[in-house]
Amino acid sequence: MESLGINYTLIAQVINFIILLIFLRVVVYPRLVNVLEQRQKYIADNVAAAEEERKKAEELKQEYLAELARAREQAQAILQQATKDAEAKAQEIVEAAKAEAQRIKESAIEEIAREREKAVAELHNQVANLSVLVAQKIIGRALTPEIHHDLIKEFIDEARGLPC
Amino acid sequence: MKSLEQVHEELNVWGFPHHPWEFTVGNTVVQLNPKTLVMTWVVMLLLIIFTLAATRNMDLRRPTKLQLMLEELFLFLRGLVYENIDPHKGAGLMALIFSLFTFLLFSNLWGLVPTMMSPTADKNTTLGLAIMVFILVQFLGIRYKGLGYFKHFVEPFFFFLPLKIVEELAKPVTLAFRLYGNIYAGEVLIAVLLGLIGLNSYVFGGFIPSVIWLAFSIFVGFIQAFIFTMLTIAYISHAVQEHHEH
Repeated sequence: MESLGINYTLIAQVINFIILLIFLRVVVYPRLVNVLEQRQKYIADNVAAAEEERKKAEELKQEYLAELARAREQAQAILQQATKDAEAKAQEIVEAAKAEAQRIKESAIEEIAREREKAVAELHNQVANLSVLVAQKIIGRALTPEIHHDLIKEFIDEARGLPC
Repeated sequence: MKSLEQVHEELNVWGFPHHPWEFTVGNTVVQLNPKTLVMTWVVMLLLIIFTLAATRNMDLRRPTKLQLMLEELFLFLRGLVYENIDPHKGAGLMALIFSLFTFLLFSNLWGLVPTMMSPTADKNTTLGLAIMVFILVQFLGIRYKGLGYFKHFVEPFFFFLPLKIVEELAKPVTLAFRLYGNIYAGEVLIAVLLGLIGLNSYVFGGFIPSVIWLAFSIFVGFIQAFIFTMLTIAYISHAVQEHHEH
């Protein structure tokens, strides 16, 4: 063995290595494994958290989309309602205007009729007076009130029979 | 041109004796190689300082460069172990594999520092580690398979037994001498290049072969440490795996 250069150094080296192994196992190895485990846990936690966030965001998005759809629907309904209301209002206004026009027309007709009657009555009066004056001139004497009256009445009746 | 002995003599600035220390315990003569032992202690010290510096103030979010180096190394080795050995069995081996690789790596590289020597350039170191691994493999095989572990010596036929025994014994021997040969040859060539090329020609590019060889030796140091560790994993894996096909 010695001619091969192998001696007790072999055993000493094994012992050296075992001492080193024990030192590394006791001091260094736990720290190393610990930090690696922590990192693994940290990454796993982060991934889980990100997954959670993503899920939440998805939910939120769905919620907002639903909300948006509902709002759109509501807006549509409001718009329809408003259109309907406006149409009704317009109809109402038109009706009112028509009615007003009708009323004005009627009142105008009435007015005309009244004016006409008034004019006719006045005409009658004037005709009567004129008749009286003409009669006085013609007859040349004053009539007694009775005759006067009878004459006027007769005249008026005749005059009423005239077409105006 | 100087002889190799002269170069070694010149490089021996630390005054290491050429003959082993000898002392007698009881009636056995214990011989120890002083340079190997001292260099081993230096390497151990360096490794301890390095790992302590790397694992001091470890931070989860902002790791230092040293910490990252050590973590990556550890994860790489763990990947190798878990690929080959069932993680339940392999987890307990991680400290050993990690220590083995870092120790061999530091040892191999330490020899490249001028006037220093790799502990692995001594047969005693490599053979010691190889025998340790061999014993560990046998132990783990028996632990996980019981006596059924020895069945593989007589499979597929009984008369394969001598062959299988030789194969089993060849494992530590090849493991030891592959590493020793590579590292020792690297150191010899460093010395040879120093002796071959005179100091005068160093100024005129004589350093180039040395630089190339040193760079290659760094590569060899990594590769050999990796091979030793990888083969250790492979042997353990072979010893502890279940044979489903039988």
